[in-house]
Formats: sequence, structure tokens, C-alpha cells
Amino acid sequence: MYAIVRGPLVWIAILVFILGTAFQVYRFYALTRRKAALALAPVSPPPPGPAPAEPVPVVEEVPLSLVQRLRLSILGTSPVTIAVTSVFHVCLVLLPLFVLGHNVLMDMAWEISLVSLPEALADALTVVVMAGGAFFLGRRLFYPRVRAITSAYDYVVLALATTPFVTGFLAFHHLFDYDTVIFLHMLSGELMLMAIPFTKLVHMPFFIINRFVLVHENSFGRGGHRVWR
Amino acid sequence: MVKAERKPLAEIKEAIQNYTRILNVGCGGCVSVCLVGGQKEVQLLNTQMNVMLQNDGRAGRLEGFTVERQCNRLHLVDLDERVARFDCLISMACGAGVQLLAERYPDKPVFPAVNTAAIGIDQEIGVYEERCRACGDCVLGYTGGICPVTRCAKGLFNGPCGGTNRGKCEVSNEIPCAWQEIYERLNAQNRLDDIKKLRQPMEWQNTVRRLIVQEPYRQRYTGPKA
Amino acid sequence: MNDANTAAVDCEAIRAILDQRKDQMQLALKVCAHCSLCAESCFLFQVHDGDPRYMPSHKFINSLGKLYRRKGRVSREELEEIKEIVWRRCVLCTRCYCPLGVDIPEMIALTRSICRSQNVFFQYEDLPQV
Ligand code: HEM
Ligand code: HEM
Ligand code: SF4
Ligand code: SF4
Ligand code: SF4
Ligand code: SF4
Repeated sequence: MYAIVRGPLVWIAILVFILGTAFQVYRFYALTRRKAALALAPVSPPPPGPAPAEPVPVVEEVPLSLVQRLRLSILGTSPVTIAVTSVFHVCLVLLPLFVLGHNVLMDMAWEISLVSLPEALADALTVVVMAGGAFFLGRRLFYPRVRAITSAYDYVVLALATTPFVTGFLAFHHLFDYDTVIFLHMLSGELMLMAIPFTKLVHMPFFIINRFVLVHENSFGRGGHRVWR
Repeated sequence: MVKAERKPLAEIKEAIQNYTRILNVGCGGCVSVCLVGGQKEVQLLNTQMNVMLQNDGRAGRLEGFTVERQCNRLHLVDLDERVARFDCLISMACGAGVQLLAERYPDKPVFPAVNTAAIGIDQEIGVYEERCRACGDCVLGYTGGICPVTRCAKGLFNGPCGGTNRGKCEVSNEIPCAWQEIYERLNAQNRLDDIKKLRQPMEWQNTVRRLIVQEPYRQRYTGPKA
Repeated sequence: MNDANTAAVDCEAIRAILDQRKDQMQLALKVCAHCSLCAESCFLFQVHDGDPRYMPSHKFINSLGKLYRRKGRVSREELEEIKEIVWRRCVLCTRCYCPLGVDIPEMIALTRSICRSQNVFFQYEDLPQV
């Protein structure tokens, strides 16, 4: 069991993650098409006669300060959650790539490694992720509007996402039996990776697709270029 | 549905200059769909106006409330108590909504914040094309589903006129002749009898078809596109 | 399996519509993080003093989400509840904001079509008149 989790399952997990994500992205492209170019019938010129005395004024912009603009955005309605989730997500995505333990393993496997964060910093950021997880757990339990749409599944996914950090933390500090903890760490990390394409964690690729690629009122950039067929 | 465009801020500001407690009422119907008068636009306009008033050293303040549909009394019930606290109302609904507000609260001045522009279709996010001018005597049944009021420069009910020129209108050779299109569609459907039926002409003025592009989304449709 | 009394409902017809849009809709249902950030973007949520039942995600989870979970096997009563959600608690103003880009109005619109296929739809007369 230990051997499986240490050996093949690592590779399987990474493969499932990459292939599963690729499949989801492929399926998205198969289900959508490029938006047809906007074809507007020419608008008739104004009827003959004297032109209006004053040109029609364009809707002018009132320069709003950054704070005022942010207040009008989702930061205005849910400032705390957005702040926490931003920190949580940045650490969640980047931390595993820059943890020394991982880089040592990657170095052994592929002879490549990314720069490693100082161990104390990585450890602190791990605590930040755990705190974020606790915040989300609290919201699910006590905030009526979140509670109203929460089912057991949400707790399972939250656990899937945060257990690698808890066990990684325990392993780093050699709390409890190291072998067991590192076993659980690898197992939970592998499960999480495999869960990304197939649970609500699929929001990682789909955030980018939905907001940058699809045509929508709230698309980023120039408004996206694909629509569902 | 109904399409509208926001009025210039200066015009709105002038309308409310004698009032301090101002309620901006949005509508969750058509104007919300065409991105000009829903809750989000209410909040944006309020922020902009409040900044302007503050810059001018004026005491006025706008608050917002969005109702389901301003053109239905049923949905104004929620407003009744609220309105009492305000000196005047701004409406971001179409002209129908503005009028119902004015009727229901006769002692409160009501100012429109949008220009009701058209009955149209959604072409793109923030881009709307007029398709109907509510002429009250719809002729689409014998024009092959092409509206001569909004599409023909002269709003002719019997056409084409002598100005049709190789499929274009004499007004501009950029513009297709609506009656040519009507002819072609009816012909393809074997319904040319319909074009021969004479209709009473209508008195039409100002039959320029409108295109509405909401300002905040304009940049999506100008300049090079990725 | 549920024990809903589906006698008066053409579950197969509902199933057919669900299957037609399955890939897109189930993906949307899956992507939703159940985070509640869409709440305030719905003016009905604000007007109803933050009643969670007016939150956009609450609406599609309990209407379209339920139909997919049940594979279309719902009772007449349940369809009536769904009708309340997709007509009385949402006006399809199309303006909900989801940070993950979930297209909520599209889901509500599909649910309305499904209701109509079963002759369940909102009638103006259902409202109390004033
Ligand atoms: C896939 C197989 C994985 C293996 C084999 C693995 C292995 C390890 C090892 C050996 C350590 C060092 C522990 C120590 O210092 O003694 C570690 C730490 C850590 N791992 Fe993993 N890991 C895996 C997956 C993951 C995943 C998926 C995540 C998070 C998404 C993760 C998050 C962490 C964190 C945050 C630490 C550092 C904890 C701290 O410094 O407090 N790991 N891991
Ligand atoms: C990289 C792009 C990602 C973006 C833009 C993103 C964005 C979001 C957003 C907007 C939310 C909803 C707000 C909230 O409740 O926090 C959310 C929730 C969540 N995300 Fe992500 N996410 C990303 C990647 C990930 C990854 C890789 C994971 C874990 C493997 C993850 C795990 C979660 C979890 C567990 C929640 C739900 C928190 C709760 O229970 O309320 N996310 N994400
Ligand atoms: S008030 Fe005007 S904009 Fe609002 S729903 Fe009625 S017709 Fe549409
Ligand atoms: S003829 Fe044109 S303007 Fe008149 S009702 Fe029909 S579509 Fe509307
Ligand atoms: S629809 Fe979007 S904003 Fe609403 S709960 Fe789901 S993920 Fe969150
Ligand atoms: S479409 Fe429905 S759920 Fe979305 S904001 Fe409008 S009323 Fe609310």
C-alpha cells in the first residue's frame, strides 16, 4: 500500500490531473464555437433637414477613485471573503510548487526543481492556507446564505483541498508518527490532484475559460470570443 | 424588448439640483436586460452623481432601489413606504415606468435617467438594434417579416418606391432597400400576391433606425479585436 | 431513487430536454463553488433583505440542479415549487454576477422551458391583485 502511494499513484495522480483537465478543456472547445462577427445592418442617415443645433452629448465619465470603483465591484459587497479567498488561492496554487520537500523529490525524479521558498516562509504560508480553509468551513457552518446551498459534498471537497496542507504541516514539524503522516500527505495530495478535473475544483480551469474566453457581460479583456453552440 | 440609453449626467444633475434626498429607482425588466437601468447601473449612477454633488459642494444624496418591473403597480408596492423619505425620484426605467411612478406618487417629482430609444433585438452584449416602432398596425404578415417602418427610410407601407436602386435605397447606397428585401423574401415564399395588396399609408416622421451601443461596452466593438 | 409521485408528469420529455443540454448545464452546475458571492448581484436578493432563497445559486441548485439530480423524475408538486423559484424568485433580468462566470440566467431559462413542456407556467392571475 505504502509503496503504491509512494510510487505509481504519484504518477497516476499527475496524469489524471493533466489528462482530466485537458479533457475538460477539449470538451469545452467541442461544445462551443467562435462567435460570428457582429453584422449590423447599416443605420439610415438622419432625415434631411436642419441638423440639431447642439451635437448629442456623449455620456461623460465621472472619474471615480479606485476605492469607489472597487466598492462597486464584488469587493464592495464581500470584502472579507474576497480578501481571504485571494490569499488562500494564491498560496494554494503556488505553495506546492515551491515547497522544498517537493523540489527535492522533483529533483530526484526529473532532475529539475524550481526555486524553493525558505522553509519557515513555506511553513507560515501553509498555516495561512489552513486558516483560509477554517474560514471557509466557518462560513459554511454559520453564514446562513452559504449554509443554504451547502451539502456534504462541499465539506468533502473543502477537506480534499486542505488536507494536503494539514498533513504537509504535520510532516514538516514531525508531529505524530512521521511515516503515517507523510503517507497520508501523499495520499491526500494525490486524491486532491485527481479530484480537480472531476469535482467543483474544476473551477480552476473554468474560471479562466468562463471569464476570458466566453462572451459574457462580465468577461475580462475585450469581451471573450466564444459562445456555446 | 424596450431598449434605452442613459441620459447625459449633466442633464440628470440639472434635473435634481433643487433636491437633496433623491431615490433612484431601477427596473429589473427591459432596461436591466439592455444593461442601462438595472441594479448595477443604479449603483453606478448613484456613485457618479454623489461624487459630482460632493465636488460641487452640494448636500444632495442619491439612494437606490430596484423593482421587478416599474410598469406594473403590483411591483411598486414595495416602494410606497420608502418613497416618503425622499424629495424626488429618478427612474431608470423606460418611459412607461417613469409615468407609472409619477402617477403613483403625484406629490414627488420624477425624473427619467434614460432615453427610451427603441423596441429592438439583442445583437451583442450592449448592442441593440431597433426592429419595431410600435406603429399600432403591424404589417409584418404581408411583408415577409421585414418591418417597413423601421427598415424603409420613408416608412412606406406600399413599396418599393421609385427610389429603389439595384437593391439599395436612394437615401444612401450603403442602405439596402427594405422593399427589395421584402420582395425577395415573399418571392422565395411564393407569396408575391401579398406585395400587391394596397395598404393605407401612415404619416411617419423621423424614421431613422436606431442602433444602441451602451457606453461602458463600446470598447468591445471599436478598434482591433483579438 | 426517490418516491416522488411522477404519475402526472412526463418525465421522459423532461429527460429529453435535460439530455439535450446536459454537457453545458452539468458543467455549470459542477463549476459552481457554492460560495454565495452571486447573492448581492441579484436585486431581488437585496430587496428581500438578504433572504438566501433569492440568491441566484440557491435558485438554480433547487430547480435545474434538482431536475438533473433526479434525472427528470419529479412530481407535479415539485414542478410547482420549481415554477415558484424560476418565475417568482427570478425575473430573468440576466444580470447575476458570478466570479467563476457561471451563466445563471441560462440555467433559469432552461428550467422555464422544462416547466412549460409540462404545462406549468406562471400566470399573471396567480398574483394577488392590487
Ligand atoms: C503528490 C504527491 C506528494 C508528495 C510525494 C509530497 C511530499 C511532500 C514532502 C516529502 C514534504 C516535506 C515534508 C517534510 O518537510 O518532512 C511535503 C511538504 C508539503 N506538501 Fe507535499 N507532497 C505531495 C503532494 C502535495 C500537494 C498536492 C500539496 C498541496 C496542494 C502539498 C502541499 C505540501 C505543503 C504545503 C508542504 C509543506 C508543509 C510545511 O512546510 O509546513 N503536497 N510534501
Ligand atoms: C487558479 C485559479 C482559481 C481561481 C481563479 C479560483 C477561484 C475561486 C473562487 C472565485 C471561489 C469562490 C469564492 C470562495 O468561496 O472562496 C473559489 C472557491 C474555492 N476554491 Fe478556487 N480558484 C482557483 C483554483 C483553485 C484550486 C487549484 C483549488 C484547490 C485544489 C481551489 C479550491 C477552492 C475551494 C476549496 C473553494 C471553496 C471554498 C468554500 O468552501 O467556500 N481553487 N475559487
Ligand atoms: S418599466 Fe419599462 S423597462 Fe421596466 S419592465 Fe416595464 S416596459 Fe420594461
Ligand atoms: S409594422 Fe413594424 S413598427 Fe409596426 S408594429 Fe409591425 S414591426 Fe412594429
Ligand atoms: S453561481 Fe458562482 S457566485 Fe454563485 S455560488 Fe456558484 S460559484 Fe458562487
Ligand atoms: S436573472 Fe434572476 S437570479 Fe439573476 S439577478 Fe436577475 S432576478 Fe436575480
